[in-house]
Amino acid sequence: MSTEVRAEITANVWQVPAQPGQQVAEGDELAILESMKMEIPVTAPVSGTVTSVAVAPDDQVVEGDLICVIESD
Amino acid sequence: MTEGTDAVDDRFNWGPLVEDLHRRRGQALAMGGPERVERQRSLGKWPVRERLDALLDPGSFVEYGLLADHMDPTLAEKGHFAADGCVTGIGRIDGRRVAVCAYDFTVQAGSMGRVNEFKVTRMRDLVLRQRIPIVWLLDSAGARITSDAGSTFAANGALFREQVTLSGVVPQVAAMVGHCAAGTAYIPALADFVPMVKGTSSMALAGRHLVKAATGEDVTEEEMGGSEVHTKVSGVADREVADDGDCLRVVREYLSFFPSNNTDAPPVAACDDPVDRRVEELYRIVPTAPRRAYDMHKVIDVVVDRRPDGTPDFFEMKAAWARNLVTGLARVGGRPVGIVASNPMVLGGALDVNSADKAARFVWLCDAFGIPLVFLHDVPGFVVGTAVEKQGIIRHGAKMLYAISEATVPKVSIVVRKSYGAGYFVMNGLSYEADYLAVWPAAEIAVMGPDGMVNITMRKHLETFEEGEARNAERIRLAEEFRSNIDPYVAAGHAMVDDVIDPAETRLAIWRGLEVSATKQVQRPWRKHGVLPV
Repeated sequence: MSTEVRAEITANVWQVPAQPGQQVAEGDELAILESMKMEIPVTAPVSGTVTSVAVAPDDQVVEGDLICVIESD
Repeated sequence: MTEGTDAVDDRFNWGPLVEDLHRRRGQALAMGGPERVERQRSLGKWPVRERLDALLDPGSFVEYGLLADHMDPTLAEKGHFAADGCVTGIGRIDGRRVAVCAYDFTVQAGSMGRVNEFKVTRMRDLVLRQRIPIVWLLDSAGARITSDAGSTFAANGALFREQVTLSGVVPQVAAMVGHCAAGTAYIPALADFVPMVKGTSSMALAGRHLVKAATGEDVTEEEMGGSEVHTKVSGVADREVADDGDCLRVVREYLSFFPSNNTDAPPVAACDDPVDRRVEELYRIVPTAPRRAYDMHKVIDVVVDRRPDGTPDFFEMKAAWARNLVTGLARVGGRPVGIVASNPMVLGGALDVNSADKAARFVWLCDAFGIPLVFLHDVPGFVVGTAVEKQGIIRHGAKMLYAISEATVPKVSIVVRKSYGAGYFVMNGLSYEADYLAVWPAAEIAVMGPDGMVNITMRKHLETFEEGEARNAERIRLAEEFRSNIDPYVAAGHAMVDDVIDPAETRLAIWRGLEVSATKQVQRPWRKHGVLPV
């Protein structure tokens, strides 16, 4: 099953630790957004493999934009 | 033959009468019959009388209307409806009386008929006179349309109006233990607390068949109004529970924080966790770096009372919805409190429409029943921008302001790290009749952060610098200058905060706040009621 991870807030993308092909566990940091004076971690809602990453540092995202896709069994 | 009833002679022949009564009772207690009761179990749901046994103190239930039936000539061929499909009465939880209305799905799908509605009306009457909580166990398909299909509907609906009258007078709990539509979905909407059993319960204004007929949409009960929807997306329900047993346990726990009515004081529990316990764990939980996220649950868990088994005495409400703000009931020194806490882990702890809604509702709940409020601030402000304006952030933010302003219970604030702008106000800033306001040594209280300040107030000045490096350097210099004024000791120096505390003293500070405000009285000018932003 593939899970799309989306931004919950309009923000700048600060860091993107997630790499395509990477194994992640539920709760792992996929990206860190910057908004409202805060670092806002985007964490994996499920465990699995990151199949694609849609953002890079310094990108601007709005609420609902795709961050990455995780394929889980 | 019942013991002692043997006929002495024809003047004392109680035997057949008592016999008949016991037969009728037995028939009512058998609910919808063995087949339907078995079907109920196979769906993962408990029969109604087992639910009551688990909810109430053993032997405490005084049933009203056990021998009720539908009494509808048009339903004559359907036979007896045990208790007319809803068991009502008064029992005890932790020794205190509560009224219960428990719909029985094994009898005509727990539908709301004239007689069972008469029984439930009687419960609403009794709880208003006796000022005791009311609990609904909802496992009902809604109105029994067959017996009330026409325009005699014109006189229906008093149930909701009466529930509104009860609101804030006695605690109201509506536990969703089945698929409920229409009437039985509005009961929870007007109740204070709504747990939902995962997988076997739902609520929706209309069941799937009506939805299909009305709009053509083809959905299951679960997709439309299951616990996933109402605890994570809509915010209608307060808590998802695993099964019936968990649900009834949660109802008992919820009520343990509440007085029986709005004129009694909340019950104080025995507590062997010292109120002056130093909470040094906090040094490792909250980063001093102001932009770093952390989970506020960890702060709450170490600050509130520890139960004898070591778990925190914290009962979270709407945990999976609007997670940027945490609300829940807890005990500090055995006293019930309502906790409203920013959660920097989600949206940086910034407030949005749903979190404002969640906070307002929770503050109104606690204030209605005299439960003091404790605010843990780490809020960068309200989320700004197009998206939230379209959602009506101003209206929702105003609702939170309104609720905090109205609340007259003791209100204690701890500024953990940051508290900016209207976020500081709605989290019970000093001007909101905060009874005790203590801040941590890294607390930032200001109208906005330094960068925002520079961009707004110094825009013209910055334009005099060459774009690029020079302007950026000036921007950073100015931001640092503003930052130096955002300092807890500036607020403390003006005595605008009551104390700066060592993080490890947080539990004690909350306790002291509660102690000093125990006799709080607030008089407001007379009014019929305010005009609420919703």
